[in-house]
Amino acid sequence: MLVLHALRRRFGSVTALDGLELRVAPGELCGFVGPNGAGKTTAMRCAVGVTTPDEGRVTWRGRTVDLEVRHRIGYMPEERGLYPRMRVQEQLSYLARLHGRSAGWAQQQARWWIDRLGLGDRADSAVEELSLGNQQRVQLAAALVHAPEVLVLDEPFSGLDPLAVDVMSDVLRERADAGVAVVFSSHQLDLVEDLCRTVAVVSEGRVALRGDVAELRRGGDRRLRVATDGSTAWVGSLPPGAHLLTSSNGTVTVALAPGTDPGAVIDLARTDGRLVEVRLEQPRLAELFRDAVARREPS
Amino acid sequence: MALRTILLIATREVRQRLRSKLFVGTTLVLAVLLTTMAALPSVLGVFEPDGPGDGSAAVGQEPVRLGVLGSLTGEELAALEATFGAVETVPIADRTAAEAALTAEKDGVLAVVEPGERVLVAPGDGLLPTGQAVAGRAAEALAVAALFPADPDRVGAVLARPALPVEAVGQGDPAERFARVVIANLGVVFLFAVLLMYASMIINGVIEEKGSRVVELLVAAVPVRWLMTGKLLGLGVVGLGQTVVLFGPPIAVLLVTLGEVIPPGVGVLGVAVAGWFVAGYALYAVMAAGLGALVSRPEEAQAVLTPANVLMIGGYAAGFAAVNAPTSTWAVAASFVPFSAPFAMLVRQALAEPAWWEVVLAAAGTLATAAVLTVLAARIYEGGILRVGARVRLSAAWNGG
Repeated sequence: MLVLHALRRRFGSVTALDGLELRVAPGELCGFVGPNGAGKTTAMRCAVGVTTPDEGRVTWRGRTVDLEVRHRIGYMPEERGLYPRMRVQEQLSYLARLHGRSAGWAQQQARWWIDRLGLGDRADSAVEELSLGNQQRVQLAAALVHAPEVLVLDEPFSGLDPLAVDVMSDVLRERADAGVAVVFSSHQLDLVEDLCRTVAVVSEGRVALRGDVAELRRGGDRRLRVATDGSTAWVGSLPPGAHLLTSSNGTVTVALAPGTDPGAVIDLARTDGRLVEVRLEQPRLAELFRDAVARREPS
Repeated sequence: MALRTILLIATREVRQRLRSKLFVGTTLVLAVLLTTMAALPSVLGVFEPDGPGDGSAAVGQEPVRLGVLGSLTGEELAALEATFGAVETVPIADRTAAEAALTAEKDGVLAVVEPGERVLVAPGDGLLPTGQAVAGRAAEALAVAALFPADPDRVGAVLARPALPVEAVGQGDPAERFARVVIANLGVVFLFAVLLMYASMIINGVIEEKGSRVVELLVAAVPVRWLMTGKLLGLGVVGLGQTVVLFGPPIAVLLVTLGEVIPPGVGVLGVAVAGWFVAGYALYAVMAAGLGALVSRPEEAQAVLTPANVLMIGGYAAGFAAVNAPTSTWAVAASFVPFSAPFAMLVRQALAEPAWWEVVLAAAGTLATAAVLTVLAARIYEGGILRVGARVRLSAAWNGG
């Protein structure tokens, strides 16, 4: 289990992490989401040992992350970077060796990932000669080439075209199925919802929401969408547990807290006109995200 | 594991530099140029003696060719033959012809005797015994001949007496002195040039890693200090290798072609230059690495490197000035200040022969300062290397960003 224990980190007057806790089990594919500046990148940098927290610690399988543990972690930084003039195969092999692997093993793995990611004919090209899409693939290979037990990827889908998104998604699923603990940050919440079993929503340096995506959706405020041919004056007297999200052109969307009866709201709407549309849905991850962040930022 | 990783990083630095066609091409072209320049004196015969070494007689030597303006008596010819062993005279018509023969080295004439009047000779080059020595001996022979007219045997007997040995004191052999001054000057210029070049190479290497953002990937796998040490080691090896390629062949050519002319004892100064290069590199390279971590763009490199460059220029100026006063108090002091020691102590070694312990003390001081700077630079490197964008303030890098 990768565990971030109550991490705190300040940069001058800015608090980046404020007691952040996170657990990712082997084989788990965890989405790490949050608004800009929430502390995702700092938390990931702490997880791989690039940044040292002021307080708290990071452990993998119960052991504090030291150099040996770091060699078992694959990392893709938010700021992509490779040696531009170094050849693909040589670069990947070099990075694997920096993680303590032998020269022969590193060569073999570099070749395997080059072929797996469709870069077979560019193995001897300098990275700067590749297209941006192919450079992203090499960047992914750089995180994977030393066969890590943990993958920490900061915005891995950023800037990818749909085909590359598919490749990246396949590789992440494949690694998680192979028992690797995978955590990645993203602003593409639909993609996280489709890909991840678990999610952690970060806000102001803390995890505001954490859990199994399906369970969170089931346990979140359901969305009731009601459209009538009358007025929407009824929204002023919503029952307890229901609160207005949007109201436009006679269509009203209401969030229902768990246990709230949607029928009470529907009955209320019918007092002002005939029902045209009624739809009850589990919340999307994006909606859970907004709710969680709004709870942390009440203003 | 530390050593293995540091060597791995160093090896990558070496490979990347050697893969640069510009770097390899420039080095090879410069090496060929320098070697050609070193071979030129031999090819052109600049240092070849133009007659008997010290003007004395030697069995089996070619006859000394002397121009004669006027005519020689039998005693005078006997005196010259007793002095030089064999003499070949070349008649000279007048003073103008004598000057022409000497300045153009026409017919191999080393000196022109004008019996009863003077001996003419071309200006010497001051380095090697040439016509000057021949002229002196000829003048002496003619003077003896004038003392014993009509007695060639006595003239011969007087001149055949062995001369008293001559021993140089004080500044020693002028040729060695000259060579040492040359080495002191060239050594200081060489050290300054290569240290400046490699400081620039290091800072650009650091900026490349920072600018291309690859550094975050690296520090996730390798402690920052190992990364910095590997880079410095790799570029240091490149620097030493390039120095050997640039200066090895020309020095070898000089040794082969002019080995007899190069004074003994000068070779050890070559070792001193190499030693001070290593110490100076250790000192200035770590400063370049630490300062390089503060910026992200190559155009900012020289600005951020200014403090190191100022110290280096100060050391260079101290060394250069010490050439003219190698025993002065300030030259001695400068040779113990770590930032000027590589330059000033090299000059003192060339010109003032300091005690061995002085050299060891100066080198130890420089290396100890380099060690302290390595710790400081590593902290700055660690605090600045991940901060991309605007220039990082020194205090911010020191406090870990």
